[in-house]
Amino acid sequence: MAVTSPRRAAAAVAANLTLAAVALAFLAPFTWMLLASVDEAATLKAALPERPTLDNFQQVLTRENLRAFGNGILLSAGAGLLTVLVATLAAYPLSRFNLRFGRPFLYTILFAAGLPITAIMVPVYGLFVQLDLVDSQLATMLFLATTGLPFGIWLTKNFMDGVPVSLEEAAWVDGASGMQALRRVVVPLMLPGAAVVFIFTFILAWGNFFVPFVLLLSPEKQPAAVTIYQFFSQYGQVTLGPLAAYSILYSLPVIALYLAVQRTLSGAFSFAGATKG
Amino acid sequence: MTAEALSGRAARSGRAARRGGVLRWLVPMSPAVLLLLLFFTGPILWCLWAAFTDIALTGAGASSPRLVGTENFSRLLSDPAFRQSVLITVWFVIGSAVIGQNCLGLLLALLLRGRSGLVRGVVGVVVVGAWVVPEIVAGFVWYAFLSDEGTLNVLLGRVGLEGTSWLYNLPVMSVIVANVWRGTAFSVLVYSAALSEVPTDLVDAAAVDGAGPLARLRYVVLPLIRRSVLTNLMLITLQTLAVFTLVFVMTGGGPGTRSQTMPIYMYQEAFKFFQLGYGTAVALVLLLLGALFSAVYVRALRPEV
Amino acid sequence: MRRRHAILAIALAAALAATACGGDGEERAESRTVKVAYLKFGTFDANDKLFKKVKPTFEQQNPGVTLELIPIEAPIDTEYHTKLSLMQRSESTAPDVLYEDSFRISSDVEAGYLRPLDDYLAKWQDWGQYFDAAKQAGRAQDGKTYGVLMGTDTRGLWYNKELLRKAGLPVPWQPGSWEDVLAAARQIKARVPGVIPFNIYSGKPMGEASSMQGFEMLLYGTGHKLYNHDTNRWVASSPGTTDSFRFIETVFKEGLAPKPQQALNPNFGTVVATDLLPKGKLAIALDGSWLPQSWLESSQKPWSEWSQVLGTAPMPTQQGQAPGRVSMSGGWTLAISAKSRNPDAAWKLIELALNQENSRYLDVIASQIAPRKDVAADPEYLKSNPTVKFWTDLVEVTNYRPTYGAYPKVSNEIQAGMEAVMTGQASPEEAARDLADSIRSIAGADQVEDAT
Repeated sequence: MAVTSPRRAAAAVAANLTLAAVALAFLAPFTWMLLASVDEAATLKAALPERPTLDNFQQVLTRENLRAFGNGILLSAGAGLLTVLVATLAAYPLSRFNLRFGRPFLYTILFAAGLPITAIMVPVYGLFVQLDLVDSQLATMLFLATTGLPFGIWLTKNFMDGVPVSLEEAAWVDGASGMQALRRVVVPLMLPGAAVVFIFTFILAWGNFFVPFVLLLSPEKQPAAVTIYQFFSQYGQVTLGPLAAYSILYSLPVIALYLAVQRTLSGAFSFAGATKG
Repeated sequence: MTAEALSGRAARSGRAARRGGVLRWLVPMSPAVLLLLLFFTGPILWCLWAAFTDIALTGAGASSPRLVGTENFSRLLSDPAFRQSVLITVWFVIGSAVIGQNCLGLLLALLLRGRSGLVRGVVGVVVVGAWVVPEIVAGFVWYAFLSDEGTLNVLLGRVGLEGTSWLYNLPVMSVIVANVWRGTAFSVLVYSAALSEVPTDLVDAAAVDGAGPLARLRYVVLPLIRRSVLTNLMLITLQTLAVFTLVFVMTGGGPGTRSQTMPIYMYQEAFKFFQLGYGTAVALVLLLLGALFSAVYVRALRPEV
Repeated sequence: MRRRHAILAIALAAALAATACGGDGEERAESRTVKVAYLKFGTFDANDKLFKKVKPTFEQQNPGVTLELIPIEAPIDTEYHTKLSLMQRSESTAPDVLYEDSFRISSDVEAGYLRPLDDYLAKWQDWGQYFDAAKQAGRAQDGKTYGVLMGTDTRGLWYNKELLRKAGLPVPWQPGSWEDVLAAARQIKARVPGVIPFNIYSGKPMGEASSMQGFEMLLYGTGHKLYNHDTNRWVASSPGTTDSFRFIETVFKEGLAPKPQQALNPNFGTVVATDLLPKGKLAIALDGSWLPQSWLESSQKPWSEWSQVLGTAPMPTQQGQAPGRVSMSGGWTLAISAKSRNPDAAWKLIELALNQENSRYLDVIASQIAPRKDVAADPEYLKSNPTVKFWTDLVEVTNYRPTYGAYPKVSNEIQAGMEAVMTGQASPEEAARDLADSIRSIAGADQVEDAT
């Protein structure tokens, strides 16, 4: 759109400069990690490696680690998709209908989610043993999805509230039923929100060590968040170079995910566009 | 919207709820409710019970746990280290969540609107990268950055400034900054999504009317995303209250107990010794703190009637 | 539309039920399986190798029985123990044989997780081969033995021969008392600037390392202990505790040790092993027998010259009084779960896995010190690393920590006391007094005595 006035252009330059400064500030602490990953003798000090090498990466790219990455993606993507789906369904009535139990429900689940994982996992483990779900990746994924639900429902309801009912009503007037209105009108506008919930749940599951650690027995089923500890030794010593390399690889799936959805996140929306069919 | 449309809407949703009856909301909410009931209710009730016992994972508390009433809580309240940890946690939340992540997140979301794909990509990758890197590695990253011979002091040295022992002299400040770095991405995402729902027509109209960028922000944008601000604050507060590994790796709660937040206290006094009863009691107080923060937010962000 | 949602909900419930109904045929197979759970992660896969090696022999010797390996990949002791405790809470997931830290035996016995082994040990000839101290390691407060030690570690002084020579000290260096150690450190400080003369782990961030490699290495060299096994009481205060705190105060106040800023850091162990020692920035380190693990070819930063650059010396007792040397040890054991359905077969596994040959195999690949006299004399074992004989010789004077329930908290208080003293916030007398008070309140006044 628009008028590229000189003021607009100046504002854009200022914005870009600020963003560049922020990006650099965020990048600075990573210096150590980036340098250590190509250093075969990495210490906890950021230092230029004497002989930069890709050995650390090679050391990390084993079949077991790739399998752990796969497990992690399975658990996290599964949990993410499930949470988005379940949260969207649950958020719709909470957002659109003035349910009396709405607010108590929302606050209860939010604070329930705040209990420390160490404490929660004891009864959860007991539950899993009773249901014979120990060592089941599917059950673990369901549990991880559930841990994402409280925040997921909150976020989804929040974004749904931001989509005016008038748009749905327009669809109703056109003859669509409740669910069709949801699907055709609300959901497309909710895509940025859904993307946030998916990324959030994915990261929550991707970085979760304790849940899979407790609920899964076979080492082949453990995700990357658990196997990262292979770089720590019994006496507390850490092999920092491979750890740094592993961390970089570990961050890649989420970064890829972010790049994939970022377009939806910064699209602006105008009434003009939305009221058409 | 006209008053008619508004009342029509209220009437219609009321009617809608009554029309389908209970099924209208029960059916879509059932998967969520089922999952939460199955996986959460039992464990949470167990935790509530555990806080009043001396249950542990090993030792006598494992073979024969007993109800100890409010003993755990009275022990808590009489421990000066606990009281100190509450204070430190409050500062930690205010500094890194309410001010840090929240404001920086909003700023970034605003600045990123309408920028080119390249800019959004680069900034996004760095900010999200900080969020996704494993927490223990984030701890090492910041340890390496702030230690005596760490990157920050090296950089300061290059420009002729003298650094200091950040982790030793300014532990709380250090962990606040590290947590801002770590968690801002969440706020950026939430605000980006929220801003995408703000119709640009309204903002442009205000600009045409002569409102400068700050005025547009204050009078047009912020009111429209007020709900998201509230949600974001509550969620990041709860997340920040739970931060453990980052602080533990950076300072271990020290020096002494100068940066011992409640989760670290929980670990040092309870979970390290496998004492679930005491640890859960601390956790409940932590949740109470979260509830207090939320009450403050709701109050502060209430719409002017 | 409503129907679709109902179907979705039912499908979800059905999926849950389906996963829940799996695996009930396993009940019957259980009693013919022996499950062994152990710690395994990245650089530490010695257990895995041991049990994989032993599996064919075990199954051959016990026809009809299968050995099921359950490696638990956990980084830190707490996580491993958490998972193990969870598994032990219910019979269906409890392993038969478990890799148990000797340190945790007493509290796990209190929790009802372990089975006493005395009956089996009485009939096992190999048991006579174990050092007395090693036998003690597996004993609980009730006097019964619950674990057989697989390997152990000892502690003492590592020193950089070059740096000591530069300071004019004799090499090989053999300090006979605390004064000798302090004098050497002072000499290094005076003659070799830019180098940290002496390191002793201290303060809360280094956790148990401060207690074991630090405080207890001092205390047990004063002739006093933390726990009196004869009267079954904790020793709340003794001249030894005050003297130990004073040693800490001295080394930090005189600048003989690293600066508190540097030392009070949870990663300091890594810094010492991978940075300070290899780069010659630290002259004397009070540390453990396992350090060479960081320098092997297979490690991250191999340091092949370590055995030429570094020498070893036992940590002397306070005035050099008998036995002249002091060491602390930890160690892991194999234990049998109280809920095991197959204790006899479980015991057979332990017998096999810890016979002379396998015990030696494990100790070599895991860089552990042998708990058995026959392995300690075995040439295969002795040639695995140049310092192994030195560290093994310390086993006969070594001490094990009191593994009783109150210990973790006592250890915590020790670390807090060390930190107060090293930062100058408390005097040694004050720290000793605070420690005594803490021990009294942790263990209960009637479980405590004072020594003079």
